[in-house]
Amino acid sequence: MTPATPLWEFVDITKAYPGVLANDKVCIRLMPGSIHGLLGENGCGKSTMIKTLSGVQQPDSGQILYNGKSVTISDPQAARDLGIATVFQEFSIVPTLSVGENIFLGNMPRSRFGVIDWARVYDEAARVLAEMDVDVSPETITGTLSVGEQQLVEIAKAIAMDARMIILDEPTAALGEDEIERLHQLLRNMRERGTAILYVSHRLDEVERIVDEVTILRNGCVVRASGETKINVSEIVSAMVGEDIGEHYPKERNATDGIVLEASGLATKSGVKDVSFSLCRGEVLGLGGVLGSGRTEIARALFGTDELIAGQVTLNGKPVHFRREIDAIRAGLALVPENRKFDGLFFNFRASGNVTAASLGELSRFGILNLKVEDQATHNLIRDLEISTQAEEKTVNFLSGGNQQKIVIARWLFSASDILILDEPTQGIDIGAKIAVYKLINRLTRAGKSIILISSDHDELLAMSDRIAVVQHGTIARTVDASELTHDDLVRASADIPHSKPEEAFA
Amino acid sequence: MKRIFDTQLIGPFAAMVIVALIVALTTERFLNPGNLSNLSLQVSIVALIAIGSTIVIFAAGIDLSSGSMVALLTMILAQLLKFIGIPLVLALPLILFFGGLLGLFIGLITAYGRIPSFITTLAALIAFRGLALTFNNGSPIFSLDPALEPIFYGKLFGVPLPFFYLVFFYALAAFTMNFTKLGREIYAVGGNPAAAVLTGINVRKVQTTTFVIAGFMTAVGAILMSARLNSGSPNYGQTLELQAIAAAVVGGASLAGGRGNILATLMGAMTIVIVQNGLNLNAAPSSVQNIVLGLIILLAVGIDMWRAEISALMGRIFGRSSSQQSSSIKKEA
Repeated sequence: MTPATPLWEFVDITKAYPGVLANDKVCIRLMPGSIHGLLGENGCGKSTMIKTLSGVQQPDSGQILYNGKSVTISDPQAARDLGIATVFQEFSIVPTLSVGENIFLGNMPRSRFGVIDWARVYDEAARVLAEMDVDVSPETITGTLSVGEQQLVEIAKAIAMDARMIILDEPTAALGEDEIERLHQLLRNMRERGTAILYVSHRLDEVERIVDEVTILRNGCVVRASGETKINVSEIVSAMVGEDIGEHYPKERNATDGIVLEASGLATKSGVKDVSFSLCRGEVLGLGGVLGSGRTEIARALFGTDELIAGQVTLNGKPVHFRREIDAIRAGLALVPENRKFDGLFFNFRASGNVTAASLGELSRFGILNLKVEDQATHNLIRDLEISTQAEEKTVNFLSGGNQQKIVIARWLFSASDILILDEPTQGIDIGAKIAVYKLINRLTRAGKSIILISSDHDELLAMSDRIAVVQHGTIARTVDASELTHDDLVRASADIPHSKPEEAFA
Repeated sequence: MKRIFDTQLIGPFAAMVIVALIVALTTERFLNPGNLSNLSLQVSIVALIAIGSTIVIFAAGIDLSSGSMVALLTMILAQLLKFIGIPLVLALPLILFFGGLLGLFIGLITAYGRIPSFITTLAALIAFRGLALTFNNGSPIFSLDPALEPIFYGKLFGVPLPFFYLVFFYALAAFTMNFTKLGREIYAVGGNPAAAVLTGINVRKVQTTTFVIAGFMTAVGAILMSARLNSGSPNYGQTLELQAIAAAVVGGASLAGGRGNILATLMGAMTIVIVQNGLNLNAAPSSVQNIVLGLIILLAVGIDMWRAEISALMGRIFGRSSSQQSSSIKKEA
C-alpha cells in the first residue's frame, strides 16, 4: 500500500525566533497513505514546524521536497495550491457564516460571470458533509453548532479542497469520544485514498490507535525519527520528556467518610436534570460522560453561574443558595473552567494578578490592595508548583499551557478554597505538566480538600478519581467506585447516546 | 513607585520629549515661561477628561459622550448661577454630582442593558448636545460669576492652578489603578470579562463605575471650561471626546481593554497639545492642525502594532544575527 517515495520531504528545517531556536534541523518524511504523528511536549517546536509547513512563516534554512522536487511554500495560498490543508488548533472558521460558506471560504465556486455559484457551494458542502457522515445542514450558521461540530467543519474545509496532505493540530482537543471515533474513521478513509496526514496530539491513547509513523521532537530537535511502525506509549513518553517519568498517574487515596457537599435534585434551564450526589472530605469525584452530556453545566449550577430552578445544595450540613459566583467563592468553592484561555486567565496580568483575582476582597483593606502579600504569596506558589519563574515578570500569555493551567489552579490555592471543581484541567497540556496537576490534586486531597474532576480523558478519570459519576443527558446515570470501572465500561456508559443513532440502539 | 512608573511609560514619554524637542528647536517662543504656563492651561481640560476616557477604555469600553456632556454641564452651571442664583460653592459640587449621575445612567444602560458602550455613548453624544440646546433657547450664557474665572486662571506660587488639578487627579487615578481593588477589577474586566465573572468580580458594577468616574471627570473639565470663558455654551466641547480618546491611545492604552498606564495618557495629551501649540506658534491654520492630529494618532498606534517588526529591523540594521543570539541562549538553558 505504501509506495517507496515520500510525497513530502522536509529536510533540515531550521527556524529561530529571538531568544529561542524553535526548530533545529528537523527532518520529516510524509508518505502518501500514511498517518504520521508529530509528538512532543509544549514548546518542543511542533507549532513552529506546522507554521512552516503551512506557509505561515518561512524557515531560516532547510529544504522542502514535493515528490522529490524542491519547492518553496511562500504563503498559505501557496500551501493550498500545493494541496496542503491545515486544521489549526485555534479555529479559523467564521461563526457568523453558514457551514457551506465556511467550507469554501476563500475558494468559492464561481459561475462563468464570476458570481458565486451558491447552488454548487451548498451541493458540494452537503456532499462533503455526507461523506464525513456529519449530520449538519450546510446552511446552518456555524456559530450555532457545538464546538465538536465546528471542529468537524474545519476538517470539512480540508476535505473539500481535495488536499493531498492534511495537517491536524490537536484535532480532538474539543471532541467527545464518539466524535473522535468518527474523525478517526474519516482519517482512515483518507489514508486509503493516499492522502498524507500529519497528526499532532497530546492524547497518546489516540496516537496509539491511529498513527502509522511518528516523529518526536524535544527542544526543537528530532529525538526519534519517522518510519518506525511499532508505537509504544511508554517509549513515546520517555522520548518526549527525555527521562523515564515513572508512574503516569500518581494517585493517592485520601477520601474520608465525612460528607462536605451534598446536591439533591438539582435542575437548571441549561439542561441539568435531577442531579444528586455527595462529595466527601479528601475525595476526588470524577464526572464522566461525553462532551455535551451536561458535566460542565453541573459545575456551573454548583458554582452559582447558572440559576437553580429546583434542588438543594448542602454544604457542611447547612443548606446554601448561591445567587452569584462570589457567593460560592466565599463559601469555599472554586471553579477551574474548561477553557482556560476564554474563561480562566487574564492575559493582561502577570502571575500575581491571576493568582489573586478571586481573593481581592481578602487581599485589601478599605479597598487598598496589600501588594506585598500578593507578591510574596505569588512567589511562593510559583516555587511550590514549579511554575516558570518568568511568570513573575511577564504577562501570562508568554507562558506554556501547563504553566498557565497551574496558575489558574494556584488562584484557588491562594483563596484557600475547600471544594475545587476542575473542568478538563489537563486538556492541551503536556505530559510533564499533567503529572504536575495530578500531584497537585493529591496535595489538595491530602490537605482535606475535595475535588470534582471533569475529564474526557478516560484513563485519567479512572486513575485519579475515587468515585465516578457517569453523566448522561444532564443527569447522573449512576455513581460507582472508580476501581469497579474499566476504560471500556466508561466509554460504553458515557457514549451511550440513544438519540444520535436510534437504529443502533436496537441492534 | 516601580508599579506606577513601569516600562509602558517609556514610549509615550519618549514621544512627548521628542515632539517637545522638535518644537523647541524650530519655534523660538515655545520655551518662553509665558508659553509654557499657557501650555498647562491648554492641556488641562482635555487631560482631565482623558482620565475618565482612559479608565473606561481599560475596562474595554469607550466613552464618546464627554464632549457633549461638557456643553450640557456648562449650560446647567450657567443656569444655576445666572438664572436660579445658586451660590458658586454649592453649584460646583452640584455639577460634579450631575456629571457622576449622567455617567451612572450611561453605565447602567451599558452594563445592565447589555448595549455596547460605543452605542450608548454615541447616543449620549448626540442627545446631550440636543439637551444643552434646550437651555436659554440654545444661546450661550455669559458673565456667570466673577469668582469663576480664578478657578482656571488663578495661580499658586506663580504656577497656574490647573497644573495642581492635573497633579492631584492623575496621582489619584494612578493610585486607584495600581493600588486598589477597584483598579485591579477594572483591568480584570477589560482583560477578560468571562474570567472576571468566574472569579466572582461583579463585572457590571465595575463597568458602571468606570462610567461614573468618566462622568465625574467630564464635570471637572466642564467646570474649567466654564471658568476659562466665564460662560456656558451648547457649542463647547466639540470633538473633545475624540481628543481625550486620542490622548489615551497615544499614551498606549489598548482599545481592547485591560492594558495601559493612566499616566501615559497625560503624556499622550501633552504630546498632542505640544504639537498643536507648535503649529499655533507658527501660525498654521486649524485645518493643518487636524491633519497632523490624525497622523499622530495613526503613528502612535502604528508604532505599537509594528513593535516586533521595528525591533527586527533595528536588529538587522545594527547587524545582530538573531539565530546566533538564540543559539547562545539555548546553550545556557
